Amino acid sequence: MFFSSNKKVDNRIDGFSHLGEGASFEGEIHCKGEIEIAGKVKGNISAKTLRILEGGKVTGSVNAEKVEILGCMLGNTTSLNIHVGEKGVVRGDLRFETNLSVVEGADILGHVQKAKKDKNKKVDTDKVKYLEHSQKAS
Amino acid sequence: MPSVILNDTILKGTLSQKDSITLDGTFIGNITAEEIIVKDHGTINGNLNASVNIEVNGNVVGDLNSDKIHLTSFAKVRGKLSHKNLSVDEGAQLEITAQTRKRISNLNKE
Repeated sequence: MFFSSNKKVDNRIDGFSHLGEGASFEGEIHCKGEIEIAGKVKGNISAKTLRILEGGKVTGSVNAEKVEILGCMLGNTTSLNIHVGEKGVVRGDLRFETNLSVVEGADILGHVQKAKKDKNKKVDTDKVKYLEHSQKAS
Repeated sequence: MPSVILNDTILKGTLSQKDSITLDGTFIGNITAEEIIVKDHGTINGNLNASVNIEVNGNVVGDLNSDKIHLTSFAKVRGKLSHKNLSVDEGAQLEITAQTRKRISNLNKE
């Protein structure tokens, strides 16, 4: 883990953002790509992919396309795909559109709901897929 | 573990970090850390407080406070600097007031 994130420092074009263990942040986060949180965040997060690592703690609401909760999440989560890991702790609602996976041992207290697909979001994901495809092609 | 904020990320708020932080994205607000590195695409609007080192190769509007401040050739900085050791590379665009402190680093003292 440690080494892989160090690599990301070097080639920061196709890496992902990382908030380290010693970090505590209060405020908003908007991320167009992937972000990993190992520290403490208070506030709302919108991202394409959000990963709350073990030891990470997020207080606030999350809006993303893919959320992995391996740490602690206090607040509501809205996402296309949600994954809660073995040591994941969730206090709040989980609202997902496509997939929800929960590993044995996860601790969830809140409302879990499969939401109807939002047309706007669907367009967005199609766009993203198209962009990814064109990137690969070029 | 050090934090890395990439180009595609915008943060608004206050960040305090025990070790090092590398910023290549947009940050609005104040940062306190041991070491702050602002890369080419980094844009900061707020004060930077580091106990050891600040390195700027991007845009910063706000006050910088650190023992060692290094402004590299693509730096654009506007604000007040408080430092023990300042170095500026050729090409840096600055609009600053700089002050050298003699005392050992203390974030509240200047």
